Amino acid sequence: MTPDDPHDAVVVGSGAGGAMAAWMLAKAGASVLMLEAGRNYSPDESPMLNMAMDAPLRGVGTPDKEFGFYDATVDGGWNMPGEPYTMAEGSEFMWWRSRMLGGRTNHWARNSFRMGEYDFKPKTRDGLGEDWPVTYEDMAPWYDRTEKLVGVYGSNDGLENHPNSGPGVLQPPPKFRVWETFLKAGGDALNIPVVAARRAILTKKIDERSPCYWASACGRGCSIGAAFQTTTSFIPWAQATGKLTIATGAMVYEVLLDANGKATGVRYIDKATGAHKEAKGRVVVLAASTGETARILLNSQVAGRSEGLANSSGQVGRNLMDTVGSSVSAYFPQLEGRPRYNEDGAMGLHAYIPFWDYKRIQSGEVDTPRGYHVEIGGSFGDPGMGVGGGLDGYGSSLRADVKRRYGSRIGFTQRGEMIPNANSFCSIDTNTKDRFGIPVLKFNFAWSDHELKQVTHFQKSMKELIDKLGGTLVSEPLDPSKAISKGGEIIHEVGTARMGADARSSVTNQFGKTWDVDNLYITDGSVFASKAHKNPTITIMALAMRSSDNIVTRLRTGEL
Amino acid sequence: MTDMKTLVTIDRRVTLKWLMGALAVGQLAACGDGAKGLSWAELEAIKATGVGKDPDLINPSVPWPLTLTAAELEIATDLVDLILPAEGDNPAPSKVGVPAFINEWVSAPYPDQHKDRVLIVNGLAWLDEESKVRNGVPFIRAEASAQKLILDDIAFKDKVKAGLEKPAEFFGRARSLTLGAYYTTREGWADIGYIGNQPGTGDYPGPTPEAAAHIKGIIEAMGLKYTPA
Repeated sequence: MTPDDPHDAVVVGSGAGGAMAAWMLAKAGASVLMLEAGRNYSPDESPMLNMAMDAPLRGVGTPDKEFGFYDATVDGGWNMPGEPYTMAEGSEFMWWRSRMLGGRTNHWARNSFRMGEYDFKPKTRDGLGEDWPVTYEDMAPWYDRTEKLVGVYGSNDGLENHPNSGPGVLQPPPKFRVWETFLKAGGDALNIPVVAARRAILTKKIDERSPCYWASACGRGCSIGAAFQTTTSFIPWAQATGKLTIATGAMVYEVLLDANGKATGVRYIDKATGAHKEAKGRVVVLAASTGETARILLNSQVAGRSEGLANSSGQVGRNLMDTVGSSVSAYFPQLEGRPRYNEDGAMGLHAYIPFWDYKRIQSGEVDTPRGYHVEIGGSFGDPGMGVGGGLDGYGSSLRADVKRRYGSRIGFTQRGEMIPNANSFCSIDTNTKDRFGIPVLKFNFAWSDHELKQVTHFQKSMKELIDKLGGTLVSEPLDPSKAISKGGEIIHEVGTARMGADARSSVTNQFGKTWDVDNLYITDGSVFASKAHKNPTITIMALAMRSSDNIVTRLRTGEL
Repeated sequence: MTDMKTLVTIDRRVTLKWLMGALAVGQLAACGDGAKGLSWAELEAIKATGVGKDPDLINPSVPWPLTLTAAELEIATDLVDLILPAEGDNPAPSKVGVPAFINEWVSAPYPDQHKDRVLIVNGLAWLDEESKVRNGVPFIRAEASAQKLILDDIAFKDKVKAGLEKPAEFFGRARSLTLGAYYTTREGWADIGYIGNQPGTGDYPGPTPEAAAHIKGIIEAMGLKYTPA
């Protein structure tokens, strides 16, 4: 089939949510058209073993390649020529876009932490934000299926609000490295857990994908298929069914409706020719990313209404959340000059610190309502352009200092929950259009006191851990208002079309079906009702799988 | 004497003018002030083509022209080898392409690199001028011991000679670029002990017995519990 033919389903986006939906639907026998705004891409393009010295400027980030030369992201980033967005006065928001087949799954860190029972019912627990229309128990089987399919390493530690996976679901985690065992010793003494991380990286072979070979930064894209991305999994699997048609360079800007208010497809610009085209389907699935999905809905014209599509609740674009980010870093004299060995490992977290202080939140001893986890980085890594940071002098003493300090610094990165607030949302900027003539998004963003207090908790806790291990902070922590990341900077933006219990207060039901349009579904991060501290991708995929299952059932019964 | 503050440098033609001014200031050397009073010229941003948003990642190339002069590269070569002299099997930075890398870096059409270009180009000229003032010869003609005396005034953050803050800032960046460039080479990996970027099969082996025993000793000496996972 071609993109001009009507399909059973039109899926907008090829990242975590879109590709999961496309594969689930194609596997069930539905014909699927996937529209991707960026170019075709395969991780065969990944510079798996290239050295930094082979890249311009040793591979450091530049305005062209912001996460470094070798980052898999092509034609994307914080700034995209001809595709601006705007910010309200006093607001700062960073919007990362990945315009390529596979979207952000080509370069994500693969950190895959399940949300837990508290995370799905936050309002019930502390009165803030909003509950999800699903419980953890509803989601557990979908997490199991997703993790098994994707391939996630980790361990079941039975920790509060960090649920175990089902039997046989997880792959074995890689061994801790020396500095991770060192941190664990300090954490154990303070009752701060340091446990195996969970990442979407194979340590055992599944299907045609190879296990990790313990080299090659995951952000470059993984041509051996060990680090999960949709371009080595869902997309080729869906193609193998013969039911998937892909159109790249297809910039969707509007959902089409018939006279009865049912979706009939979408309208897009074919970037190669500039032509405006229509794609038709029985069901439309939006997974264009939290920002773009809201933009498409708000830019869609609905006869007799001014608020855009699927927005009778007024919630489209609202509840914009990102992960709370901040970091501290310390030198540990005890780690200086330690014996060398290969610490590349899985090129990311083997261990992490899950949130541990729920009891003291409940008792009121802790004055921030929601938690965070800590991602840790140390290792004898590939020395980059920062290898001389903090060193002094010159000559043979400098050479000795470089070697002594190597592998003795550990970075601690907070990844925390944000509570939705009325000052954080996106809307259409009717005064600004992109190079395609599509009105752009305008962001409002503000942290609240809850998030700032959480940064303080993180800073104090890490200071205790660092002190316990005899470390020295590289620099004193900044005031939380300065230490906290900018909105969007952690690239976990979610919430702009949240799911909920009723049509009045939310955009979709628990299956991502918009309340207002019976055959319009959303399977990306925009449906999140809250932003737990856990990195969103694994939850996007589990929700997308569950929603797609609902679509399949309704296609089969003829409801759609 | 030229008023250095009003000397808004536009390009290398003006750098000549700056040097003339520097020479004039050099006359102060008789009073022991060296070339420290110079203001550092702004340079015009480079307008070459960058790598773009979709470069060939497997076969990278540097698309911008290199801009340092042969004379500047000679000074840079001496400087990087003073920063990290050869030692045993470990070669000097100039033997593993570090001066060429600094040229690539300061010639790049990006804002961060432009800031470094202003520091490096002016700093190299400062080294030369300072050497002329102190030693009567350009930097590369001075004895190593005389070169080091200049560096001693700018290389240690708590001992920067008054008035030499800007040259010290230049030196800090030169050191950082030198170390970054050096330790990203195979020779640098060998020196620092990075033994990764090596694909393997089977499970990740984890720490060697020696590395494990070492950290066990450290953890237990701190009165903590060693529980490898």
